[in-house]
Amino acid sequence: MQIRLAGIGGQGVVLAGVILGEAAAIEGLNVLQTQDYSSASRGGHSIADVIISKEPIYDVMVTRADVLVALHQLGYDTVKNELRKDGLLIIDTDLVKPDREYVGAPFTRIAEESTGLALTVNMVALGYLVAKTGVVKKENVEEAIRRRVPKGTEEINIKAFRAGYEEGLK
Amino acid sequence: MRYPFPVGRSDFIQGDEAIARAAILAGCRFYAGYPITPASEIFEAMALYMPLVDGVSIQMEDEIASIAAIIGASWAGAKAMTATSGPGFSLMMENLGYAIMTETPLVLVDVQRGGPSTGQPTLAAQGDIMQAIWGTHGDHSLIVLSPATVQEAFDFTIRAFNLAEKYRTPVVLLTDAEIAHMRERVYIPNPEEVEIVNRKLPQNEEEARLPFGDPHGDGVPPMPIFGKGYRTYVTGLTHDERGRPKTVDAEVHERLIRRIIEKLERNKENIISYETYALDDAEIAIVSTGIVSRSAVRAVKILREKGVKAGLLKLNTLWPFDFNMIEELAEQVKKIYVPEMNLGQLYHLVKEGANGKAEVELMPKIGGEVHTPMEIVERVVG
Amino acid sequence: MYLKSAYEIRDKYLRKDMLPTIFCPGCGIGSALQYTLRAIDDLGLNQDEIVWVSGIGCSSRVPGFVNFDGLHTTHGRALAFATGIKLANPDLKIIAFMGDGDAAAIGGNHFIHAIRRNLDVTVILINNFTYGMTGGQVAPTALKGLRGTTAPYGQFENPFDIADLAVSAGANYVARWSVFNYLQGINSIKKALSKEGFTLVEFLSPCPISFGRRNRMKTSPELLRWYQKITVPLAKAKNMPPEELEGKIVIGEFADRDRPGLVREYEAYKKRAKKMMGWEE
Repeated sequence: MQIRLAGIGGQGVVLAGVILGEAAAIEGLNVLQTQDYSSASRGGHSIADVIISKEPIYDVMVTRADVLVALHQLGYDTVKNELRKDGLLIIDTDLVKPDREYVGAPFTRIAEESTGLALTVNMVALGYLVAKTGVVKKENVEEAIRRRVPKGTEEINIKAFRAGYEEGLK
Repeated sequence: MRYPFPVGRSDFIQGDEAIARAAILAGCRFYAGYPITPASEIFEAMALYMPLVDGVSIQMEDEIASIAAIIGASWAGAKAMTATSGPGFSLMMENLGYAIMTETPLVLVDVQRGGPSTGQPTLAAQGDIMQAIWGTHGDHSLIVLSPATVQEAFDFTIRAFNLAEKYRTPVVLLTDAEIAHMRERVYIPNPEEVEIVNRKLPQNEEEARLPFGDPHGDGVPPMPIFGKGYRTYVTGLTHDERGRPKTVDAEVHERLIRRIIEKLERNKENIISYETYALDDAEIAIVSTGIVSRSAVRAVKILREKGVKAGLLKLNTLWPFDFNMIEELAEQVKKIYVPEMNLGQLYHLVKEGANGKAEVELMPKIGGEVHTPMEIVERVVG
Repeated sequence: MYLKSAYEIRDKYLRKDMLPTIFCPGCGIGSALQYTLRAIDDLGLNQDEIVWVSGIGCSSRVPGFVNFDGLHTTHGRALAFATGIKLANPDLKIIAFMGDGDAAAIGGNHFIHAIRRNLDVTVILINNFTYGMTGGQVAPTALKGLRGTTAPYGQFENPFDIADLAVSAGANYVARWSVFNYLQGINSIKKALSKEGFTLVEFLSPCPISFGRRNRMKTSPELLRWYQKITVPLAKAKNMPPEELEGKIVIGEFADRDRPGLVREYEAYKKRAKKMMGWEE
């Protein structure tokens, strides 16, 4: 499965991609993660690619995304053409105005409401993605979060992830 | 021995990080470097790990000094590494030659980016192939390895140390910006699972007196490292078996240089590594190395689905080069394609190997992006 | 001080099969080498725990003549190589034999950074104002007006004062003498070899063949007399106005301090790392 996460710098898109990849690795799946960000460390587009497969992975980047998660209009506009026609588009419904079918929720708002921190939006979106696709197991994502987020922020990130996951099950 | 990263299990890490961890498991205890994109993460990981394993990590004033320091460390008995990218690799050419001439084991990682000059610091390329093989002046030989995945970056780093030690030679690991920064699942073995080769040390006074001789007949002299009472003299000047400068003696020069080249040439079979994919009945061959090989595998699959009998030869080592194997391949297939992220470097080696037995066509691509599988497919089916 | 005969020093420390040296008649490198060997002998240092390191140039051929471990490297890079040797095996003592062009031109960057790090090394620096091996081109230490094949009408650039540079960059010990200052030279080298961190003894050293001939001093005695004319002892120089010191070279001990050397700093750093990571108390 080819998954692309797109947003702007500062939204933690790359970290979400790394955590998703780590979860897949924990599950024993083959996984590749790459990123592309404009040179601006805040505010430019930011893209993380994750490819997860039982087979060996030869691709070096997402070429035809099965899933596109867009957290910001700029990120969406940059990469929307790379989503397959029958692919799944997941958006932050407050921040992205798509021109095709989609699912989603106001991730940033959910982040603020559940943890008080808008910057946990990446974990909310990740939870939503995992619930919708079942690409990796919930527990493995939580383990990956514990390994990858800064010490002391594990619980708040897991809380945000669970909030997104619940939203995705609706 | 305690390791500063988990061993005996898989981890999800970048290519640069994999190289650092592999170096430590291979026994590397000296790292000297200078910051450069996209190789800095190797240095940063070494800076984090080395003091914890009682090794050295030091930031030198430039890349010239970095390779100089690891040569010094190697003669003091340490397994040593440096890593850089194009601009720094160019600066290292002087002392890479010194390491070849003095038969100093070391590992030099070149994380290729777009060049020449500062070029494209963050983007991948394969423009340093010729420089890795032929970059330093004078007649010489060395070993060049080329990984295509993060796991290979890890495995080939361990192999690079073992080859360096076994053949008393510098080994260049050619990776690129793409592998450097991509994360993949990598198996980090337990230390006892890792095969470790250590350099030959002199077993007696007689051997110690011939640090550049051939007492074992394999072209690889034992290395009388410093501080053991051998009183070894090491020079970049042409020297005889004892290490004494003999700068105008044609015979000494020829004997030395030929042995340095021959010691790798005669062990070619043990050094050269490659993989094939669907090559047995292939009529069209793709020859590739490094990151491009990933797209090439996919391209071969797609071509096979289309009924084209395509196959892949993926080169894990770029030097020594098996020209005979390419000639045999050329006898088997109608055409060989060489996709590479430059305007033609590996192509020239393949063409020389093919020796006119099959047409060899270059598929160049520069600018920073890896060939897509479809680009390769379309070129083959026209 | 009891002086052993030069033959005794020669037989004990030189590689017989490498003799004669490449040095020209009247060259001062042999004197500086003898002082260094006498200092080693006086201090009773273990011959097998010393590594001689050098770059390129006449003085850089010294490690080939002495019966020790030796690394004869690339032009200007000796101290970068030395950094690796010393940190990889801190038990080894390192002597770097360098020339003026080697240390202050092509190796200038390595030189100042080795000093900044306070690398534990003793540098014996041969300053003869010229590139002797390649035939008398001007060196970065050449005083204004001195001639070389690449400044045939007299040097027009300003010279480097290497000792001064080393003091500013933080060396633990810095002294400069001419090879005529025999006892001071030996004593300075002994001091330098006894200290940790970066230590430097610079010698004004005659090169009659490549330098002297182009500057109306065809023999070593003429060059030594010229040194006596242009050198000023530090104590005297302190009371001289700058204009009087123009074109003069001050000799003496310029720094003698005990900052921790690189090896000690790195050992402390390793401890700090293990503590910060919770590996050690």
